[in-house]
Amino acid sequence: MKVNLMFRNKDFVVKSESDSIIDTLANDLGFKYIISNMSQGDKIISNACTTALFNPLQSIDEICYRQENLIDALRKPDVIRQLYDITIETEKKRKNSFYWLSSSYISSVYSNAIGLLKIYIEMLMKLRRIADKEVAGFQSEGFLNFFTMLQRELNDDYFAEVNSHLNELSESNGMLISSKLGNYLQGVGYVLRCKNQKGFWRKWTFAPSYTIAPRDDIGAADLGKRRDRAINEVSNALAQAAEHLESFFAKLRNELAFYVGCINLAKSLKMIKMPICIPKLIPIEQRKRSYRNLYDVGLALTKNDAIVGNDIDTTDKLLYIITGANQGGKSTFLRSIGQAQLMAQCGMFVGAEEFLAPIRNGVFTHFKKEEDSSMKSGKLDEELSRMSKIVDVISWGSLVLFNESFSSTNEYEGSEIFRQITKALIDNNVEVFSVTHFYTYATDFLNEKNTEFLRAERLENGERTFRIVKGEPIKTAFGEDLYRKIFADSL
Amino acid sequence: MFYSILFKTKEQHEQKRCTDEPDCFKDLNLNQIFNQVLKNKKEFKLESLFYTPLQDVEIISYRQEVMHDLENEKLRRIISNFSKNIYNIDKNMIKITEALTSKKSYENNYLTRGMLLNCAEKYCTEINNLVDGLKENKLHSEGLNSFAEYLLDYIESDTFKEFYSHVIRLQNQLSTVEYCMYIKNGTIRVRKYEGEIDYSQKLLKCFEKFRQGEVKDYHKKLDEEPIATHVEAEVLNMVASLYKDIFTDLNIFCEKYMYFIDNTISRFACEIQFYLSWLEYILPLRQVGLPFNYPKLVDNAEHIYVREGFDLALAFITRENTVTNDFILNTPERIMVVTGPNQGGKTTFARAFGQMHWLASLGLCIPGSEATLNIFDNIFTHFAREEDLSSLNGKLQDDLIRLHDLLKKATNRSIIIVNEIFSSTTLSDALVLGQYMMDAISKIGAIAVVVTFLDKLAYHGEETVSMVSIVNESDPTERTYKIIRKPPDGLAYAIHIANKYNLTYEQICRRLKK
Repeated sequence: MKVNLMFRNKDFVVKSESDSIIDTLANDLGFKYIISNMSQGDKIISNACTTALFNPLQSIDEICYRQENLIDALRKPDVIRQLYDITIETEKKRKNSFYWLSSSYISSVYSNAIGLLKIYIEMLMKLRRIADKEVAGFQSEGFLNFFTMLQRELNDDYFAEVNSHLNELSESNGMLISSKLGNYLQGVGYVLRCKNQKGFWRKWTFAPSYTIAPRDDIGAADLGKRRDRAINEVSNALAQAAEHLESFFAKLRNELAFYVGCINLAKSLKMIKMPICIPKLIPIEQRKRSYRNLYDVGLALTKNDAIVGNDIDTTDKLLYIITGANQGGKSTFLRSIGQAQLMAQCGMFVGAEEFLAPIRNGVFTHFKKEEDSSMKSGKLDEELSRMSKIVDVISWGSLVLFNESFSSTNEYEGSEIFRQITKALIDNNVEVFSVTHFYTYATDFLNEKNTEFLRAERLENGERTFRIVKGEPIKTAFGEDLYRKIFADSL
Repeated sequence: MFYSILFKTKEQHEQKRCTDEPDCFKDLNLNQIFNQVLKNKKEFKLESLFYTPLQDVEIISYRQEVMHDLENEKLRRIISNFSKNIYNIDKNMIKITEALTSKKSYENNYLTRGMLLNCAEKYCTEINNLVDGLKENKLHSEGLNSFAEYLLDYIESDTFKEFYSHVIRLQNQLSTVEYCMYIKNGTIRVRKYEGEIDYSQKLLKCFEKFRQGEVKDYHKKLDEEPIATHVEAEVLNMVASLYKDIFTDLNIFCEKYMYFIDNTISRFACEIQFYLSWLEYILPLRQVGLPFNYPKLVDNAEHIYVREGFDLALAFITRENTVTNDFILNTPERIMVVTGPNQGGKTTFARAFGQMHWLASLGLCIPGSEATLNIFDNIFTHFAREEDLSSLNGKLQDDLIRLHDLLKKATNRSIIIVNEIFSSTTLSDALVLGQYMMDAISKIGAIAVVVTFLDKLAYHGEETVSMVSIVNESDPTERTYKIIRKPPDGLAYAIHIANKYNLTYEQICRRLKK
């Protein structure tokens, strides 16, 4: 039985270990807020969505497969949640049952395996019932295949057969164990002793005794442990079957988690009246971008309010240079570009009214960083070293987002280093969005045809609209404004 | 009378200490240093000691003396073992005492009493070992001598002697006990062991004939702790009824010695970790030959200096290749402006400056071969920060707000360290704002280090000293990490560095075509 809700014919492998490149990307692009909204505190959703987002699909076909499934999921959120809840319930039952196959007690491996199988069978039954009831309401290839598989593989005869196998268990009879006192008088050195000696029953009938109270689970468990310590020898035959089923539910849980995450995010964005759309991806070699009201989803979620989006229509552009006032929405714009690209390429919707972009074979960020706390080098060194690592992994068709890069050195030097890097990237068909304060750097590209100049909008009266509009760099600084405002009390 | 190994008097000991990590720790990498120091010492709760700089020269030298004594490796090992073991006993005893004074039978039972006896035995061993250990070593510090005296009085007391002999007697008796449990349908019965035969031996013999080739071993190592103490306690009650005399004696012992740990000894065991943790931490650096010294602390900033100082956190990476730097400030000099090529050790220099002051104020030995440093009220730092999305502020605004807060809090007894701010704005903005900042710092009158790419700031006034990170003249890309006192030379070597990282236009094109 295969799940195949994320890929037509392969498993979706969730990576739970963190990866420094992904962490940087997630952090720079503000994905922390998006993923936490998707997951609503659910670690499984968080891991599944993180994996999906940061392993962008390269095939339009694969993306469409997920988009179709997603459309079904958004239309039938309750069914998807029901399915997901079953997988969660299964896991919860498994955990709460204390049925661990990895138990260090051999005697429990046997009884635990039986217990687990009983749980999994019960939960498979629930899945089948949902399939029977809901299959008619679905249209996507992924969900239709999944439901019909459940109906085919898990018919009533099969359940009857398994249950009859599981209804066989036995309890061991009374046993005699000898013991000495340990360092704090606890019993140690248990040895299983023979009972069938002369006068055994007569002697023991009148011995002092203690009976575990009816609801004393720990006490009962303690007796079990005493038995284990004395016997230490049993079979573990059913464990493997239980393990296979555990893995099936884990996969199903992870794949549904992605769709539940999407449902959660769509709901949150709807509440603050921000638009979403299913994006259109075009082949990697095409140079065309078109957005309506593209916004920073992370920021919208943080502010929990509607925010300003941006529009773009460009053809044959490879370099976007964004300049303008501090706090004018430049970083926000940059994040919205990166977010949309990654969301689109994992089959999600994006935060915009319309979105069209070419497939990118990777999204990379080079953002100004806090002082390197590992102290291997100074700041410029660190920036260059990070840049060099990016050059190691990018190729024809990648997307690189720069946010005030190389500002760890002064403007004159920074501009020269940065100009060479940027020029080399676009000359090798790497798409670049570059937010910069370097006037010198920005104006170097004025004669490049494939460059689009954008600017944080500032009205005549100095007010910032947080909108990014077409515009070439202007040589002005706003630092003194801020200084006067903040140091007003000491001036 | 001895009270604490960290403070001369009880009153000093009771003064309020800072419990949160000070703001400057992150920038100065003091958090890395102390995290490392405290890594295996979480339980001793030493944080507040490292978080609270002292402003009293007497306490600082009381500590410096104790630490000096502990540089004797043999003595240090003895005290370190003692400290860890006493701490563990102490921690266990808190739980045990709580249980034994409880009215609940599942807490106050023979298992808990067994634990008390066990702790008592360990405690006696530790005390005896330490007394022997201290006799073998010469002590110079006021703190340790006074503790040793206290300990001798303690061990000679009748109370301790009587306690010790009772422990030994009980242990001998309890080792003779052996019993059998018969478990069936949730009921346990107990009798003395009467030579019943070992079942497993019988089974092994029985199945011997089936033995074939190699098979996987399914035996597991099972731990022998009871999982339900109340059940174990009930079993022990039954055992006690079979061995009445021994268990009655145990009850008497427990009533009498519920609080056997001496408070002063217990405090010593915990607080001595302040010194031990530090000496253990710097040991690897000493082994590669880096100098440490006990600095002189002064209350006026007329003449302060460090010879061969270094950034302690960095030294753990660079080890024997660590570059050391000197500095000296004579009145009216107060502000060091550090310029020079990037990656030349400017930030490191600024960090080291802050670190050495902080460490000195705690009474620790600090990096460098010789030093005189100033007593201070606080260290304020301003290093470039990563943009925080939730603050919804621009970087420059953030920089300015933080600078404003810093300047407001600083006094003429403070230390200010500013590292490369205004780098996110334009060159002309940075210059104007930099000058404003220098004006403000010099008005406050604090000691300061300003790391900047703006050469102009080094000429601010008579209170400024220009420090420059210098490069190797024959190869400009090679950094010496030496910071020396000289006028700024305005040189920067950014393109050379780009070249080093294969990031010039031609290099990138070549890399991308592969």
